[in-house]
Amino acid sequence: MARGTFNSASYGLSHLRHDLLRTVSMISTLSITIAFLLLISSLYFGMTTELSSGDERKGILEGTIPGSLDMYQEFQIDDSIPEEARTTLMNWLFLTSFLIFVVALFIIYNTMAIAVEERRAEIGVLRSVGFSSREVMRIFLAEGAFIGLISWVIAVFLGMPLIVNLSVYLIDRGEQGVFFVQPTIPYELTLLSLVLSVALCLGSTYLATKRSVLMSPVDMLRHRD
Amino acid sequence: MDDVHFIEIEDVHKGYTVGGSLVKALDGFSLHLDEGEMCALMGPSGAGKTTLLNIIGGLDTVDSGKVVVGGIDLNRLGESQKASFRKHNVGFIFQFFNLIPSLTALENVLVPAMFGRSDLSQRAEDLLVRVGLGKRLDHLPKMMSGGERQRVAIARALINDPKVLLADEPTGNIDSETAREIVHLFQELNNEGTTMIFATHDRLVAGRAKVMIRIRDGRISSRKKSPKDGMIHLRDEKE
Ligand SMILES: Nc1ncnc2c1ncn2[C@@H]1O[C@H](COP(=O)(O)OP(=O)(O)OP(=O)(O)O)[C@@H](O)[C@H]1O
Ligand SMILES: [Mg+2]
Repeated sequence: MARGTFNSASYGLSHLRHDLLRTVSMISTLSITIAFLLLISSLYFGMTTELSSGDERKGILEGTIPGSLDMYQEFQIDDSIPEEARTTLMNWLFLTSFLIFVVALFIIYNTMAIAVEERRAEIGVLRSVGFSSREVMRIFLAEGAFIGLISWVIAVFLGMPLIVNLSVYLIDRGEQGVFFVQPTIPYELTLLSLVLSVALCLGSTYLATKRSVLMSPVDMLRHRD
Repeated sequence: MDDVHFIEIEDVHKGYTVGGSLVKALDGFSLHLDEGEMCALMGPSGAGKTTLLNIIGGLDTVDSGKVVVGGIDLNRLGESQKASFRKHNVGFIFQFFNLIPSLTALENVLVPAMFGRSDLSQRAEDLLVRVGLGKRLDHLPKMMSGGERQRVAIARALINDPKVLLADEPTGNIDSETAREIVHLFQELNNEGTTMIFATHDRLVAGRAKVMIRIRDGRISSRKKSPKDGMIHLRDEKE
């Protein structure tokens, strides 16, 4: 076992590894959500971007998803979709993604709240060895931020290529009456999703942890199962 | 006559509201202890031993009364100052060891120094060697026996070189043979100058302390100096 210096980051990582099932479930929930949100937005941008600005989009595409330029050259957006159909479709998609987002938020918050409940004695110990509630909160927030970051990385570098390839495959087999839009993810949106992912995790962690961290350490230490 | 003591507790009242009614954990409690003392707290369950340890360690606040430890008036400290007081002056040891399950023995010992600038891993290793766990540095708590876990907890309590060690029933979950070793370790640490206070239900464990204090209903009911042979004759304690 390699023994580096031990700090609050290694503390958080050890815990996430120790509580692997919960870590994996939070990361998968969040990464699927992020990937889905990106897909929805990519459809939106795919449908609204003017064909004339194609060159610009090529650049964006290639910059966002490696290998996507080839795909771009093969397929063009079907410009013949009626305006109302687009709007209706997009409204449904945005509503769905909003719901998915809320559910993910709830799942993550809930998972964290249960985890924190189980870690009350641990919080008591951290307080007893001399950490202020602020420092304890910092440890938990760092764990949350890590989950947000990893989920985003998985969503963007694993989820998106998957979705893009799937779209290409579907476009390939495009049958009558079915249309597919080529995913286009503006660079800014990818960044925005990172901010969203981390912020969501920090927010849930804060809300789930606040009560326990501010409680009297004595009560935490009395907490036994 | 007003000489200064390392621990000065005067007329401390501490109550908890449980379901609307007030439970008095400490009721006009006073205690003076000098630096380097080794003190055992005894008394029936609910007498206020844990409450007293928590107050001395700056983990709990009093309703009224004076609490001064090592010249620091704990009533005047804010939350983060109290945390810092604990970090630099106090080592806590618990009945249920309270190690962090995801961390190795060595990492557990390093937890109190987590945010510190200096790397204390060598000191942590030395402490684990000192408590007889030199070969268990990378072991997780679940691989260790109760006695071994408690020794990790003792090393953790010592990492920041505290002035006082507070132990709440440190041998409550340990067989009597191992308990003797733990108390022996306490005696060694005490001989090196660390002030020790521990709550216990075990008369033999308590008998090793120089001072034995018996608490009942939130007050001291007796205070004895332990005779040299370490044998103290007491009524049997029943919960
Ligand atoms: N956080 C708390 N909330 C409510 N009541 C409390 C709390 N802490 C202590 N008490 C009450 O205060 C009294 C003293 O408790 P304390 O834990 O100090 O006793 P003790 O001597 O340590 O007992 P034991 O030997 O069982 O550990 C008890 O009646 C207990 O129920
Ligand atoms: Mg107690």
